[in-house]
Amino acid sequence: MPPIQTSELTKYYGDVRGVEDLSFAVEEGEVFGFLGPNGAGKTTTIRTLIGFQSPTEGTATVLGADIRDGAALRDVRSDVGYLPSEPSFNENVTGRRLLDYHGSLRGDVRSDEMLELFDPPLDRKVREYSRGNKQMLAIVMAFMHDPDVLIMDEPTSGLDPLKQEQLLEFIRTEQQRGKTFFFSSHILSEVRKVCDRVAIIRDGHLVELEDVESLLDRSGKIVRARLSGDLDADALALDGVHDIEVSSDGSEDGDEGDGETAIAKSEATSVTFTYTGAYEPLLRQLLEYEIFDLTIEEAPLEDVFMRFYGENPAERVEAVENGKPVDSEIEQGAGEADV
Amino acid sequence: MFETARFESERLVPASAVIGLGLAAFGGMMTLIAPGILGDVDIAALLEQYPSVMVEEMGLGHMGTIEGFIALELYEYVWLLGLGAYVAYTAAGSIAGDVETGRMDTLLAAPIARWRLLVEKYLALLTPIVVVNVVVFVGVTGAVQVIEETIPVADLVAVHVLSIPYLLACGAFGMLVSVAAPRRILAEGVAAGTIIGTFLFEMLLSNTDLAWLGGIAPMRYYDPLAILTESTYDPVGGVVLCSAAVVLLAGSAWLFGEVDVQ
Repeated sequence: MPPIQTSELTKYYGDVRGVEDLSFAVEEGEVFGFLGPNGAGKTTTIRTLIGFQSPTEGTATVLGADIRDGAALRDVRSDVGYLPSEPSFNENVTGRRLLDYHGSLRGDVRSDEMLELFDPPLDRKVREYSRGNKQMLAIVMAFMHDPDVLIMDEPTSGLDPLKQEQLLEFIRTEQQRGKTFFFSSHILSEVRKVCDRVAIIRDGHLVELEDVESLLDRSGKIVRARLSGDLDADALALDGVHDIEVSSDGSEDGDEGDGETAIAKSEATSVTFTYTGAYEPLLRQLLEYEIFDLTIEEAPLEDVFMRFYGENPAERVEAVENGKPVDSEIEQGAGEADV
Repeated sequence: MFETARFESERLVPASAVIGLGLAAFGGMMTLIAPGILGDVDIAALLEQYPSVMVEEMGLGHMGTIEGFIALELYEYVWLLGLGAYVAYTAAGSIAGDVETGRMDTLLAAPIARWRLLVEKYLALLTPIVVVNVVVFVGVTGAVQVIEETIPVADLVAVHVLSIPYLLACGAFGMLVSVAAPRRILAEGVAAGTIIGTFLFEMLLSNTDLAWLGGIAPMRYYDPLAILTESTYDPVGGVVLCSAAVVLLAGSAWLFGEVDVQ
């Protein structure tokens, strides 16, 4: 049984939808990214999974325990670590006393080891802690009992870049020890770094669930080429070419200029497009022209996510799910000048 | 075992010490000045100036004796109302405060049952209850020695011991409010306000046909004035208060198990 599995998990707060009909499974030993903009339902999902609130409909299991069964969930909690998005502690207590206390509740097998990596000032009172120090204290608490499953709500928030990197590195190491992570975030670069699979949630609904790699593959490459001669978009109408933009060099205001300059500028054409096909047909096609310049790079994850987060998401998501090219509304600003 | 009760008790020690010492100083001072006041002032004549209903309702007729004076100045109001409201207020802030600040999240993520967490937080209330009782008892008893008056020690012991079920009932009510109220400040206000409200309610109804309604007031079951002036103890009242505490606590533990912690 997967460490975390939800089936049609739904949570309403009165009439307000938190999440609806979420079904997914987090496999053992994977880092599962749970992405969405603020208010999408990430924290609602996590708080329901950890048992702070009961689902309106559907259910989920964590290490085999049904989240509607408080006693069962309590029994597995010694194997579950939880990092809240905004950790809060008694202000008038030292970090050390808090660690002792929480260690006595959940067991403490590795806080010393954790404190070498994440080192809040334990002898000071929590009231004097910075946001980052509180986060580090919470991280130590989440890992101190060496749980098998870690549920983390935006774990890098509040940490400085060095500590963020350290945490991501630590997560990778722990994953190699067989730990399972459920990792909510809205920061794409960190998801890219540590997550194996990613679920994207928007307005309380799961809109995508895929390997990070395939998501990037499917989102394709950005191809930028500067080719000889004058060509139009149809010249590169290969399967897998989307959102093509063609511009004769300097054509913005050069067409009406004197003949000599216009000819010089039209000798080269710049094309930019997203490409989701194989390299060979693309290169063969490009080689029909003299290539002045060519770059092929991975589409930024941000563009992929914009398809889910951007305006008119329904269409966009449907398009992506069906593997069809996505309309270029997002890139309208850049596109309309030349196409 | 009882890590939460211990942790929460530690948090309550400073306030308990301050309240205990403050009340002990107040009670001790009242005891020390009592002979002077009772000697110089004609209490009986003074009370004639007061409306007779007021004298009767508030038990002012006992003002003329040393034990009646102490009971009225310290136990009948400061203790019943002040300490009762404080315990209810503190209890009300416990769960609601942790939920509101988000502290509850790290606690509930541990393998501990919600009912257990609630009961341990409740048990931590024994710290202020016991500390204040002991310190004030010592203060008042010491002052009684100084003025060379005699108040039966058994009565003083009883007034403190029997206040424990009363305060525990106030605390259990506070726990229930703490779980039920949506916000901390509301929980605290409702808990402390209800203690004061039932006190007034009970007093206003006491000589009417609706006196039985005053039975909901915890003060009905603990009467420091009767203990000190008449050596009348009400162990049944103590049992009623303990039972009420258990029922309220069980109710709040059940409710806490059911609610969403947001």
